[in-house]
Amino acid sequence: MSDIQPGAAFSTRPDAGGRRLRRVLLIVFAIAAAAVLVAPLSTSDQADSLGLPVLVDRSQIRILTTIGMFVVMASAWNLVGGLTGYGAFGNVAFFGLGAYTCAVLVDPHKFHLPMLLAIALAPAVPVLFAVLVGLPLLRLRGHYFAIATLGTAVAVGEVVKNIEYLGGATGLFPPIVRHGDLLFLYLMVAAALLAIATGYLVLRSRFGYGLIAIRENEEAAAVLGVNTTAYKVAAFALAAALTGLAGGVYAVWNSFINQEIGFSLDFNIQIILMAVIGGAGTLFGPVIGAIALELLIQGLAGQGTIAVYAQIGLGLLLAITVVFVPRGVVDFFGGSSRLSLSHLRRSLRETSV
Amino acid sequence: MQLLIQQLVLGLLIGGIYVAVAIGFSLVWGILNIVNLAHGGLVVIGAYLTWILFSRWRIDPFLSLPLVAVALFGLGYALQRVLINRVIRAPLFFTLLLTFGVNLVVINVLLVLFKSDFRSVTPGYSGSGLSLAGVQVPYIRLAGLAVAMALAGGVALLLNRTRTGAAIQAVGADRDAAQLVGIDLRHIYALTFAVGAACAGVAGGLISTAQAITPTAGEPYTLQAFVVVILGGLGRVSATIVGGILFGVVETLAQTMVPGLGAGWANAIAFAILVVVLAVRPQGLMGRVA
Amino acid sequence: MRGRLTLTGLMAMAALTVSACGGAGGSGGGAAGEDLVIGVPMSITGSQSKEGGLAKQGYDLWLDWINAQGGVNVKGTRHKVVLKYEDDQSKPDISAQLTTKLITEEKAQLLLGPYGSATTASDAVIAEKNGIPMVEANGAAQSIFNNGYKYTFGVLSPANKYLQGVVDMAATLSPKPTTIAMLAADDNFSLEVAKAVTEYAPTKGFTIVYNDKYPNSSTNLSGLVANAKAKNPDIVLNSGHLAEAIAINKAAKDLRLDAKIFGYSVGPSTPDFVNALGKDAQYVYDGSQWTPQVKYKPSFYLSVADYVAAYKKKYSTAEEPDYHVAESTAGCLALQKAIENAGSLKPDKVRDALAALDVMTFFGQIKFDSRGINTFKPMVVEQIQTDGKHHTVFPADVADAKPQYPTPGWGSR
Repeated sequence: MSDIQPGAAFSTRPDAGGRRLRRVLLIVFAIAAAAVLVAPLSTSDQADSLGLPVLVDRSQIRILTTIGMFVVMASAWNLVGGLTGYGAFGNVAFFGLGAYTCAVLVDPHKFHLPMLLAIALAPAVPVLFAVLVGLPLLRLRGHYFAIATLGTAVAVGEVVKNIEYLGGATGLFPPIVRHGDLLFLYLMVAAALLAIATGYLVLRSRFGYGLIAIRENEEAAAVLGVNTTAYKVAAFALAAALTGLAGGVYAVWNSFINQEIGFSLDFNIQIILMAVIGGAGTLFGPVIGAIALELLIQGLAGQGTIAVYAQIGLGLLLAITVVFVPRGVVDFFGGSSRLSLSHLRRSLRETSV
Repeated sequence: MQLLIQQLVLGLLIGGIYVAVAIGFSLVWGILNIVNLAHGGLVVIGAYLTWILFSRWRIDPFLSLPLVAVALFGLGYALQRVLINRVIRAPLFFTLLLTFGVNLVVINVLLVLFKSDFRSVTPGYSGSGLSLAGVQVPYIRLAGLAVAMALAGGVALLLNRTRTGAAIQAVGADRDAAQLVGIDLRHIYALTFAVGAACAGVAGGLISTAQAITPTAGEPYTLQAFVVVILGGLGRVSATIVGGILFGVVETLAQTMVPGLGAGWANAIAFAILVVVLAVRPQGLMGRVA
Repeated sequence: MRGRLTLTGLMAMAALTVSACGGAGGSGGGAAGEDLVIGVPMSITGSQSKEGGLAKQGYDLWLDWINAQGGVNVKGTRHKVVLKYEDDQSKPDISAQLTTKLITEEKAQLLLGPYGSATTASDAVIAEKNGIPMVEANGAAQSIFNNGYKYTFGVLSPANKYLQGVVDMAATLSPKPTTIAMLAADDNFSLEVAKAVTEYAPTKGFTIVYNDKYPNSSTNLSGLVANAKAKNPDIVLNSGHLAEAIAINKAAKDLRLDAKIFGYSVGPSTPDFVNALGKDAQYVYDGSQWTPQVKYKPSFYLSVADYVAAYKKKYSTAEEPDYHVAESTAGCLALQKAIENAGSLKPDKVRDALAALDVMTFFGQIKFDSRGINTFKPMVVEQIQTDGKHHTVFPADVADAKPQYPTPGWGSR
């Protein structure tokens, strides 16, 4: 078997090509940071009153917040799907559980906790759930694990929809936070930084090497003394915590959560696409994937009937990416290979019959 | 008692549809190790072809099934040969993503062609059926079950009684060894996918007589095919039959005969079964231990 | 990013300019003021594109008419109206994002609602946050209005009235039916419809013999119909969607469920229902927001007959507008009247005028209760009769035909 893994040339120390990648990333982050920092100076409210030009309006703040949210979720997925090599296909369950937890906690008729406390507690339920479900399911491999996690996500969503306390089919409406656009942007960006930092620390730790060992050869890892069950469940729970946190922030930011949004199969697939297109198994691949894909999605939103053709284009793009750039754009632009015909030929030779 | 029998019959009949949908899905998964997320899309193409033949030329939906099968066979062969063969050795996620992309294209092309109007194939005998001691058996559904069984039998014959079938099984068992004995991998892969697609087309034809169709009508069937294959186990036609019928019956009984639950829980039950079977017996009820 | 968004804006502007030029160019009295921009997130694509397309027709019908008058009249100044559509792909999260965009980037001063209850709930939050009034015409779930929001108004009769008309009508028929089976999809709108029936029908002397819900957009409903048949109901009611109404009707025939009344909340009014079921669609009742046969006497805009004629002309069709079209036009009328009453385009003034609104339109009375719901308009009942046409059969004062009752058994059709 000559299966290549996503980001097979996985290394935490960049080689020569990696330096270029880091430069690109630095620029990307500089732009993102600038946008985030400039935002308070130039939102429409303040700018209008001061007569300044509007650089970042609420709509763009919302897009930035959404991007932050997907950076969190794609990075979290990466811990399981990229590092450990377990194709989790139901991470949206953690998002939904986190969102519902937070919504219940802030509800004036239920727990009525302060918002920030509720957000901080939001990951509790997803983590608990990840441990309970992870123990039996992480024994499965390959497609079976993927489908079991997908099935779990759908089942949990359906159960939530049938519980009156959680608003049933209607969903929950957390109280609206007025003039909170920037607050939620910062919360989501903080969560994104936390997710990236977590990824960084995991990559450099014994824990991270253990996960990679599991991905490369689980039996061998076990023989070498890696407690594979504990490692896998820990990675799963960590992903659940981060994804649940994003869900918690989303619930109070959006002021509306229902089964359709909380357990959205669209979100579910987007998370994975972002990580894989960006480069699964790498630290910044999911980040870049999240930014790129979310910008694409938002760019296509509202384009009328063009959107149908755009969806066709997205499908084709996906097919092309998978066939020609199987290691993700991170690898494509700066990793061990270069944008060249010989690279394409090589990658095709490796994966095709 | 009469109601219980009626529900069992309905479960059996819907199970027939699930078998038809899952046969091709199981074949492609078992032999090619591809979870084909475009399977539902192929099913819907089959449904639309049946609808076109029926509404334009009044061709009976059951007579048009062979035509639909041939058309989907061709499409499936091309899809695998041109596209999916290129990533067949890549990690499973890449084939998932690729087929997801194909599904997206299929659905949206159908949306462009047919809009999201509901279409339905309603021949003259639609709605008539047998009445046995108060238990109703609609002809169309019965015929659907018969076609599904014939389809399953056909695939089993192909796999077990023909040289091509032997080659397909050999590729599924060990592709490198198969290549060594001179089997043309690309052709056999494409052939396998083509047979799977043809099955999907036939399933689509059956579905078009049972429900109103839209371009997005196939998605639930991809999920159901998952459940059926997991339930029965991978790799044998008989396992798919058992999985499909069992799922049809369990689903129908769970949503209608369990007090206090009700049909609102149908999806939750289906996926709970899926997860439990996976956790307890990953090879499926009928599957061999891998 | 900035460049991309600007480009998007330009494309939208170009499209709108083209459509504006194509529209009628007449003008009424009064000086011309600035254009009034109304934002509309809408299901142009996605799972509800069919209904979204109908809603858009209703909005556009009013747009042509109002601009032919020269625009909305604000204290003698005429403001041409620009409707800015954004395609929300029928997804609540995209809809919320686009509503924000409409308000901040496209500078929409007012909003018309999207299609569907979930997207409407999402957008109501955005309208509330930004203090922009939204008149919605295509999300009848009451839950949206139970959160104390002040800027969202719905012109529809709420979900709980959807099948009430069918129940009221059944009470007038003889021989009087007595038992009801209720099948509901598990989305918030359909469940509200079902809950109202199960609470209301017993007060009219009916017994609910079967009541269950099924997963939204489920197509395998034979088992439920078999359960219902075992209870031998006189009336089978469904609150759900088109696909499910078709599935239930098919299953009823398959299983020989011979009820005297089949009533569906959504479905029979659309051409797809008749196309899919052929003759089996006959005798079916549905609760409708509006039918082309109603006899309301509007105080402004078009009469019912003129409205139907205008629709047929604009869309060059022989088909009559269904209620999705009419309710959307009614949403525009509410907004227009509120602006005129307020004598201002300021969001807060328009909001207050909406809260105080009370007008009679071709769609019926529009007046909002304290939550913003139009609880003052009755639903009508229509039936697909043996001539293959839709007829309004209840209430009697707006009806154009008597109910064909009882529905004959499947074996004797």
